[in-house]
Amino acid sequence: MARLVLEDVTKRFGAVIAVDAVDLQIEHGEFVVFVGPSGCGKSTMLRTISGLESVSAGRILIGDRDVTHVAPSRRGVAMVFQSYALFPHMTTAENIGFGLRLARVPKDEIARRVTDVAKTLQIEALLDRYPRQLSGGQRQRVAIGRSIIRDPEVFLFDEPLSNLDAALRVRMRLEIARLRDRLDATMVYVTHDQTEAMTLADRIVVFNQGHIEQIGAPVELYDAPANLFVAGFIGAPAMNFIPAEIEAGENGKANVRFGAVSLPIGREAAEGKVTFGVRPEHLSVAAESEHDFLGRVEIVEKLGAESLVYLQTGFSKAPITMRIPPELSVHAGEEIPVRVGRKRLHLFDAEGRVI
Amino acid sequence: MADAAVLPPARPPFNPWPAVIFVALIVLALLFLAPTAGVLLSSVKTTREIALGALWSIPAELYLGNYAEVLANPAVHRYLLNTVLVSAPATVASIALGALAGYVFAKLPFRGSNLLFLVIVSGMFFPPQVILIPLFRLFNAMNLIDTLWPLIVIHTAMGIPICTLLMRNFFATVPNALREAAILEGANEWQVLIRVALPLSLPALAVLATLQFTWIWNDFLWPLIFTQSDEKRTIMLGIVNLRGQYSVAWGVQGALSLIASLPTLVVFLFFQRYFIKGMTMGAVKG
Repeated sequence: MARLVLEDVTKRFGAVIAVDAVDLQIEHGEFVVFVGPSGCGKSTMLRTISGLESVSAGRILIGDRDVTHVAPSRRGVAMVFQSYALFPHMTTAENIGFGLRLARVPKDEIARRVTDVAKTLQIEALLDRYPRQLSGGQRQRVAIGRSIIRDPEVFLFDEPLSNLDAALRVRMRLEIARLRDRLDATMVYVTHDQTEAMTLADRIVVFNQGHIEQIGAPVELYDAPANLFVAGFIGAPAMNFIPAEIEAGENGKANVRFGAVSLPIGREAAEGKVTFGVRPEHLSVAAESEHDFLGRVEIVEKLGAESLVYLQTGFSKAPITMRIPPELSVHAGEEIPVRVGRKRLHLFDAEGRVI
Repeated sequence: MADAAVLPPARPPFNPWPAVIFVALIVLALLFLAPTAGVLLSSVKTTREIALGALWSIPAELYLGNYAEVLANPAVHRYLLNTVLVSAPATVASIALGALAGYVFAKLPFRGSNLLFLVIVSGMFFPPQVILIPLFRLFNAMNLIDTLWPLIVIHTAMGIPICTLLMRNFFATVPNALREAAILEGANEWQVLIRVALPLSLPALAVLATLQFTWIWNDFLWPLIFTQSDEKRTIMLGIVNLRGQYSVAWGVQGALSLIASLPTLVVFLFFQRYFIKGMTMGAVKG
């Protein structure tokens, strides 16, 4: 059983703290995705788990074994690099079998296992080719092949799809999802691509400035972000943030007010300044009688399956984004009545924590 | 208004520079080739024909006696063997040490390693004359004068700066991810160097092998200082030695000069095929 436990892991580069006292438990067979903006520490965290970077403080346990000071190759981890890191002077078969050759596994066994892996990844026809003769997707498969042949307990993926074009990325994403079903292993996956994170993860870990902002299932992070950072980071297009105030409403429950709009939030809350967050899909074009506010259409982006509308309003400097069905005809310059969905209102205090 | 489309294409003004440069290069090439051509012509003439003053003329008949004489001379065999005994180990040793040092400077930097790298590379700028006397006294004290050892040691040491510089710069272009991937697969630094970094650096190794071998083979100064007896002399001294035996044998000397330059040519031709471009293509990204 390969549970991966990080206890108070800290990584410093000189005065810079890249990873700041991270505690995390990843269960056996779980697929965990690290997301966050560039420089947030997610890749450093992954490299620390792999052993390529030493920890400055804290412990790393894999399957209840303390591997904090164990050599990378003895940790039972395998890593797929963003750049694939295939050895250019070796064929596909030699690349995949490299680790086994170093471990002095008999040649016929290496050949057998390489063939098995190649079958799994459907690259049998490419075994004699060199990396320069392979396409991006094929190279990615070879890199994955090299990682699975040694049967590691934990797989580490460092932005493995970011060098592929959009169509191929979708395909490889599906393949990685299939792979995780087939391999009974723990997987840690670093990406800055939200779609990859949302589609692949059992749990997402959101990193920011070296620490964890929130851990949760993808839908949980989407529906109930713990703070402004997560709310703004998860979801594309991003959640709208509007400066607002809490005021007393009916029956002792509070209202949120921004501009001339006052919405009941359905619970109690302390009065004061807050940030009101609403996702683009929770705004809708309403009948005149039901609308909450009027917005002037600045730009309409027709994406086919939906349209994104950017609105100018009196209460927010940043344009308000809303998602509308494609058949609704909205034109730039028009003023439209907008209704805010009452069910998913997010309120954040001055420190950015959810209220 | 003239229609631009029907105008003939504008002729660029005549630029004389390419022609000037071309002519200058041809003149330079001829000047460089002239001595070799002179030596080649002398080597296939009889001593008598050369003595008659026909240095640059085409020989009346192809006379191969000079080559026969040189190849039959046991002293020449000795010179050639000595030169190989110096050039081969010194070439291999300087490249091996340079590769080890270069790998550390490129992939395993430590505090002060950049400074140390500069110190090593600055070794290239020492004129041999400055270290000649101390080295002579050193090897004299070690009782190694008139052996091949000083030559091997000095050429190895003098080769380390250029080898370190070239190998470091080449290893620096080998992506770090390759080293890390190899380490995750269970390789130690030595295996990373031998199985990943060096195979990718064949072009650099080929360049260094050619350069080092040529320099050491053609060296005149160090064997002149450290060897005395005819049994220990290298081929470049041998060419000079051959002069004094009976008379100024221009033809024989020319023949030996050409024979002496053959090994470096062979080394160059052999390594030329490793000067492959794009060895690292496909290692990372597209």
